[in-house]
Amino acid sequence: MPNLMVTTRDGDERQIAAETGLSLMEAIRDAGMDEMLALCGGCCSCATCHVKVDPAFAGLLPPISEDESDLLDSSDHRDATSRLSCQIPLTAEMDGLRVAIAPED
Amino acid sequence: MDNAVKIQEYDDPSYDPFSADDINFGDTPDPYPLIAQWRAQAPVLEGDYRPKMGLQSATYPDRKSFTVVGSDEVLTVLTDTDRFSNHGYRFNIGETFGQGSISVMDNPEHGRWRKIFQKIFLPQYVKLWGDTIVDPVVNDLMAGFVGTGRADLIEQFTLLYPFEVIYRQLDLPAADVRTFQRLAIGQTDYMHIDKAMEASRKLGDYFTALVVERRRNPGEDLVSLLANTEVDGDYLPELVLISFLRQLMNAAGDTTYRGTSILLTALLENPDQFDAVRADHKLIPLAIEEALRWDGPVAVQLRMAKEDVVLGGVEIPAGSLLDVVAGAANRDPAIFPDPDRFDLFRDRKAHFAFSRGPHICVGQHLARVEMTRALIAVMENLPNLRFDPDQPRPEIRGSMMRVPRHLHVRFGD
Repeated sequence: MPNLMVTTRDGDERQIAAETGLSLMEAIRDAGMDEMLALCGGCCSCATCHVKVDPAFAGLLPPISEDESDLLDSSDHRDATSRLSCQIPLTAEMDGLRVAIAPED
Repeated sequence: MDNAVKIQEYDDPSYDPFSADDINFGDTPDPYPLIAQWRAQAPVLEGDYRPKMGLQSATYPDRKSFTVVGSDEVLTVLTDTDRFSNHGYRFNIGETFGQGSISVMDNPEHGRWRKIFQKIFLPQYVKLWGDTIVDPVVNDLMAGFVGTGRADLIEQFTLLYPFEVIYRQLDLPAADVRTFQRLAIGQTDYMHIDKAMEASRKLGDYFTALVVERRRNPGEDLVSLLANTEVDGDYLPELVLISFLRQLMNAAGDTTYRGTSILLTALLENPDQFDAVRADHKLIPLAIEEALRWDGPVAVQLRMAKEDVVLGGVEIPAGSLLDVVAGAANRDPAIFPDPDRFDLFRDRKAHFAFSRGPHICVGQHLARVEMTRALIAVMENLPNLRFDPDQPRPEIRGSMMRVPRHLHVRFGD
């Protein structure tokens, strides 16, 4: 069960314990952080689960698909660390993963 | 345009698809007190939504129906795709738009086609249409009445502009437009199903010929783009392509006309808030989102139980149809305090007006661009805008789909 460090839009950092097999989006949402909107429910159909992932963990992430990249392009806040959290399945190796919820568009 | 592409009128040209709105979508002035009563009673009620609202029941096969009004239950049904399916739409919009409509599909099939349409309507692309298509349409329409000092902003503006945007996107010949709109609107006249099927057939013939023509002579328009889109080395399946084109008028035209009409009505009824938006255009997105929450154009979505489920304490057999009342979630006082009040300054929470889950509105970003441009044009061209004191105030009506029929205003002087 990996522990995640999630920074909210207010800058508060919270540790949450997540189940492997869930997506990063589901873990954040299930921890009650309702600023993670994830309106489409996690099927890469909106861009409301946008997070910034600490570059130290970049090697653990699956590659970005073209669909995910197109959706991220719709955000004014995209940078090199941007991902849609619904597209990141959690694995045991991700223990300690640090992410920040991206600003709202 | 090739002569082979001909649009066909209804066999009975006196048929008026616009007049069927009340029996299809209701004319209830305010369904929300009744919805609030249901919510207080239970989150899930037996029976479908239409007869509860005094409408003729829909022509579904003989199966159980339920109405979902609790916000948690609404969200569950819209997002839990393991237990709830979109196949219920096969009985109505699938029949007329075509069973290739992505609205009638579940994932993974739905996702395969959706991502192609979704990409076209991403914010970074649709905002370009704001300048090239929406502004010229809006300005042309407004030029027709800006000097007169009075107007019906529905009949002369909001009922026209989203459809005109689509005609320009599709690059339709001007001579086809009137019949095209009549056929498109008639497709959802489910209470006159023979007319809806006739409209579907004739629109299908038209688009099929148009696709052939635009493959031969591609232009910059949306039909050309979709007709020539390839997936794994093949064109989009004919059924998916034609269904999408049939659905576009209703999905993009009818909803935006309703949403913009409600936005303008809400702002005119709340002049302090309208003044605030005029003074600070950064408030425009808040006004739009609040209008969508307060009285979104599409009040109800349809889903089907894939298996026996218990929802909100109610046992629902597999195959049952669920009327999921987005309008109930949007007025839930636990999410939106004092929910019946239009207040663009309220704490922002995500609303349900574009639905939720994998079927969340593909066109939502275009809708926002259109409503933004329309509102800016109203504010810039119609100074001292107010209700016309000699005409009735607008009344937003409908229980399935909401809109005021008229919005009589004065401006200038």
